[in-house]
Amino acid sequence: MAILEGRNLTKYYGALAAVNSVDFSVEKGEILGMIGPNGAGKSTLFNVIMGVYKPDKGEVVFKGKKISGLRPHKICRMGIAKTSQIVQPFTRMTVLENVLVGGLHGKNLSFINATLEAEEILEFFGLGGLKGMASGSITVPDRRRLELARAIATGAEIILLDENMAGLNPTEIEEVLKLLREIRNQGKTLIVVEHIMRVVMGISDRIIVLNYGEKIAEGTPSEVANNEKVIETYLGEKVCFV
Amino acid sequence: MIGLLIVPFIGVSGYLIRLLAMIFFWIGKTGCWNIISGYTGYIDFGAVGYYGIGSYVTAMLMSKGHVPFLVSIFISGAVSGLVALPIGLPTLRLKGAYFGIATLAFAEAMKQIILEFDKTVGVNLFEGPHGITLPIGPKNEFFYYIGLGVMVAVIGITYWIRRSKFGYALRAIHEAEHAAELSGVDTLRAKIKAYMISAFFLGLIGGVEAYWLTYITPHMVFDVLITIQMVVMSLLGGMGTVFGPVVGASFLTIIYELLHRDFPYTYAIIVGFIVVVVVLLMPKGIVGTLQTKLVTQKTRLTQ
Repeated sequence: MAILEGRNLTKYYGALAAVNSVDFSVEKGEILGMIGPNGAGKSTLFNVIMGVYKPDKGEVVFKGKKISGLRPHKICRMGIAKTSQIVQPFTRMTVLENVLVGGLHGKNLSFINATLEAEEILEFFGLGGLKGMASGSITVPDRRRLELARAIATGAEIILLDENMAGLNPTEIEEVLKLLREIRNQGKTLIVVEHIMRVVMGISDRIIVLNYGEKIAEGTPSEVANNEKVIETYLGEKVCFV
Repeated sequence: MIGLLIVPFIGVSGYLIRLLAMIFFWIGKTGCWNIISGYTGYIDFGAVGYYGIGSYVTAMLMSKGHVPFLVSIFISGAVSGLVALPIGLPTLRLKGAYFGIATLAFAEAMKQIILEFDKTVGVNLFEGPHGITLPIGPKNEFFYYIGLGVMVAVIGITYWIRRSKFGYALRAIHEAEHAAELSGVDTLRAKIKAYMISAFFLGLIGGVEAYWLTYITPHMVFDVLITIQMVVMSLLGGMGTVFGPVVGASFLTIIYELLHRDFPYTYAIIVGFIVVVVVLLMPKGIVGTLQTKLVTQKTRLTQ
């Protein structure tokens, strides 16, 4: 059974359907890639899943329960977390405190347990040495990892990554990819929105392609890469995946 | 702290007792404002509304219902805290200046309601602009100790909040509310809780001060200047810090008193000038700036 399902999801901005009758489903432990040109509706779909927006039609079902209509913190506590496209650390709190917020509120842990977990998570992400720093004073790659660490700290089973690798150089991207695979091996489910093709193609088990709010293709990376419709409307030339 | 407990017994002048009591109450009020605005960043321009409600509840209970003082002030706090719920629910969804404007409007509306209610409805309840006279209260020493207690309670709660889960929620809201919500923080609930705690203590302090003043009118206890005073004192001391209100309120009340005595006509200009200079030199307030300096020094030393 799918851990997360979207059924006939539609979200309008005024008259424009930013997401139009999209169905999707993710299995537990899967990495689902989501691609599409700017304005295709990827971020909107994420926000609909998280409860930031209410879908105008359709519903989101998590582990058999309908979650659309709930507020974001409720959805987070149930087990879905999102990292933002624009990093939003709590800048005047330390790196450790940032992760603590996730554990204290997302997972409802006591201070002692949240601190222990947060320190473990920071070690995992290689941020252990920075835990006392104000999160506003760490570098962009570290901030992106901090976002991920905070999402993990909420105890989420599904993590939505909204362009978590934007602005990173190839070495840094490799590091993040390694971390993502490890997170998946721990049993987490990931949905990845990314502009960098090499990243999505390399890491995803399955890919969904959106265009103008509609799902135009779905399949394994190679299926999607060879899909005529995808090439025509979005990818341009086949050679870019070689 | 213990020194403050025995001050009235060491033969200091009545003036000093009164001044200290005034400082305690200003620290209390500023501390209340700091709990909602300092921690969450939602700038409340209607704080005096809860203070005024508290004043009126105690005034009416004591003068018309002959309810004991200590009972009255807690009812004042409870009423103000409860009023904060229906006011906070819609307004705390507003961002930035809109929240400030909405709360300012609430406080002004409260004043107008008290002013016009009796005439409009045709009853003798709030006594409109004539105000209410309370029973004559005890000496200043009594209010000195009540003020001390209230101040300690407000600072204590501010400190407790800072170290609690709830405090982490408020600070996260201040920094990035959207990210806080996505990290599992029930942002609306946390904001309303902070707002109600703030309103409770403002109401309680309003009740105490009404008894101290023995005579209140809507223009006195719903005076927007009281709110502004809380804002300025918080900014001076350091918003969102535990001891900011203590430093800010003491500092401002004392220079006010000193200058008022020596420069009765120009003191307001001088106070304004001092406030501007401090805010320019220490944008995070006195306590906030000192804290940042200490942290920077510590970091440098450990590196």
